Amino acid sequence: MPKLVRNKSHGVLQNGFFAAVDDYPIAGGWGLNGKLFAVGDASGSIQAFDGTSGRKIWGNSEAHVGGIMSMSVSSEGKQLASVGQDGQLAFWDFADGQLQHRTEIASGWVEHVAWSKSGNHLAVSSGRVVTILSSSGGKIWSSENHPSTVSALEWVTDQELSTACYGRVTFFNTSSGKENERLEWQGSLVSLALSPDGNVVACGSQDKSVHFWRRSNVQDSMMSGYPWKPSELAFSHDSILLATGGGEDITVWSFEGNGPEGTTPGVLEFHKAPISSLAFSHHQRHLASGCREGGVVVWSLGRRGGGHALGGAPVNGSVENVYWRPDSRSLAAIDSKGGITVWRVKKI
Amino acid sequence: MNSPSKVPVTILTGFLGSGKTTLLNRILSEEHGKRIAVIENEYGEIGIDQALVINADEEIFEMSNGCICCTVRGDLIRVLGNLMKRRDKFDYILLETTGLADPGPVAQTFFMDDEIASEFSLDGIVTLVDAHHINQQLGRNQESTEQIAFADVLLLNKTDLVKAEELDELETRLREMNRLARVHRCERADVAISTVLNLEAFNLDQVLADHPTFLEPEYPFEWTGVYALSPGSYELSLDDGPDPTMSLVMLERLDPNEEALQQGAEWCVRRYAEHASKISPGNIVPIDQHVELQLQISGQKSFAIKIEKQTSLALFAQHTAEEFNLRLGASDNAEVLPVLERTWVAQHEHDDEVGSVAIEADGDVNPNKLNAWLGKLLREKGIDIFRMKGFLSIAGESERFVFQGVHMLFDGQPDRPWGNEPRHNQLVFIGRNLDGNAMKREFEACLN
Repeated sequence: MPKLVRNKSHGVLQNGFFAAVDDYPIAGGWGLNGKLFAVGDASGSIQAFDGTSGRKIWGNSEAHVGGIMSMSVSSEGKQLASVGQDGQLAFWDFADGQLQHRTEIASGWVEHVAWSKSGNHLAVSSGRVVTILSSSGGKIWSSENHPSTVSALEWVTDQELSTACYGRVTFFNTSSGKENERLEWQGSLVSLALSPDGNVVACGSQDKSVHFWRRSNVQDSMMSGYPWKPSELAFSHDSILLATGGGEDITVWSFEGNGPEGTTPGVLEFHKAPISSLAFSHHQRHLASGCREGGVVVWSLGRRGGGHALGGAPVNGSVENVYWRPDSRSLAAIDSKGGITVWRVKKI
Repeated sequence: MNSPSKVPVTILTGFLGSGKTTLLNRILSEEHGKRIAVIENEYGEIGIDQALVINADEEIFEMSNGCICCTVRGDLIRVLGNLMKRRDKFDYILLETTGLADPGPVAQTFFMDDEIASEFSLDGIVTLVDAHHINQQLGRNQESTEQIAFADVLLLNKTDLVKAEELDELETRLREMNRLARVHRCERADVAISTVLNLEAFNLDQVLADHPTFLEPEYPFEWTGVYALSPGSYELSLDDGPDPTMSLVMLERLDPNEEALQQGAEWCVRRYAEHASKISPGNIVPIDQHVELQLQISGQKSFAIKIEKQTSLALFAQHTAEEFNLRLGASDNAEVLPVLERTWVAQHEHDDEVGSVAIEADGDVNPNKLNAWLGKLLREKGIDIFRMKGFLSIAGESERFVFQGVHMLFDGQPDRPWGNEPRHNQLVFIGRNLDGNAMKREFEACLN
């Protein structure tokens, strides 16, 4: 059991600011190299706060009628893309919140949006269809219907997109729209994480297991026995560690050597409620975790997946998500009570 | 299972045209003080006059282990997952399925997904039945049969389009299929909201609240025939049948309608409790007395009935008329046909694959034997068992044990103490092609 350092500064987490929005926050994101932090909520509003002081910089209460579903920040941090229940994709100038343009994607919910690594393209999904757009909102191509609703999407490279749905992960060449590869597994895939080196695809499945494939040799494995469905997955920046949350403990698998097959994962115990968010620092094997009872913990992990807590802090509601600032020197958490808590992360 | 903080969900099922949308609109337009969110699976019917309506595409997810109880509705997990984040905006959810939906995965979603189970409670399954068309649908569609089998409430809708006798017959048929459901008749889905919302049908504390004895009253007779008779002598004839004797009570002046029949039935239950006089063939059968017709000799047996005043005579017989080829002849040998017939335990009447098996037994069950039996039953027949409910008297336990289940999902907990109450067991299973006699035998083998 790792010992949690709890003092006024919560270990490495030092008080930054606290702000609040009026409704359930759905998505957040750092922009302008961490100068601003934006939050979209269930009422359909988007607001941006100064990343250091927490002062509100801009807000739009009618960004998406019915509510925000997802947001994504362009790679250089200047544009924010949002999708919502109104079936639309909207582009915002991160600096002042000016609406740049809106594109109608579907009649129903648009659930996912992700900028490509270069920022030249965007992928959005609504129902069973994925659409690729240019950074100016022009549609490039749309996929055929997936066998079921797309549950997650992630860019592999600037030319390749991965999607998850019931029973399979699909890789698309985003220039031609052709399928590069299809990895199948009979199960409802609820989460998707790609190792930054592009070799490993991991999916959490409704049946309380994590399934992963190595793209280099199409070898696949399954890790089961989670008490909850592992809806939270995160790869470390060096592609060595996969942190998974399917219950109160965090299970960390190491891809070092021949692992994780045949190895014992690291188990991080502290949270007293199911894990609701996981994110690795952009620069170190530091993991931030949040749970449904409102605790946020930062962990330092070794190459084998074991680790200890560097600090932790409570927030008011269930942690919806945690976001490392691009320089990994700050951490933001959004919670179900509308809270936005930002900490400075002390250098170790 | 239900906690006050969980949002209750009512599932509305029924074939296309059975009146789901009408009922939905009726609920939404009524002043009930509830903020209701509607999840719709069917497009293009009549519009819903309410703001918070979410469409979901039916997506049935099977899990890698192929277990049917793990089959859930992925679309609902997503939609409900999103609604969770807006739960301060509504306090009740109505989930309308397509006419062809299998209610199993819908119901299971509320038990199999931890996140959903922690935020929502399945309140009940309400199935609308188009009284005019259901008989044809039952023959053709597995889905409509399953929707009836899964229901907590059956709304027999469009009763204005069907004759009263047909309705009675239909109701009997539906009750046979699902003895756990409450049946309400209505026109244009006009029912009191309280008959469909806040049923707490999956709440173990409530499992038996509405069914203190759980089963429909069991009558000691299976069949009633009502005959309009003028004064004179009549001959009651029976051929060989399954038993060497048959109990009978005859009542006079019983109007040929359902209400009078019900009253007569209650009266006859008391008569049946009295000692039966044995009546041999050739003798007169007394009216308003419990008699036991002696049928040991083979071939046709005849008994005499004397009628003094014009009357409407009801025969409450231990077996159906069919079993003994029972008939009534006038003095001129012309057969008198009943003006009204009713079966009380109408087993096999429609040969529906889906039916209810009710088991009642006194005494205590051995928990190990029970577990082994139930485990085997659910493994082998779980796919065919849609719903189950009941209570058990477990040896060595001072409290009653209540349970309910959907397919292989079994949920049980200790209930109130037995106290001085005689310890007994009641179990009801609704399923397809269940061998009731074998199940009863196997359960009885679990008794100490």
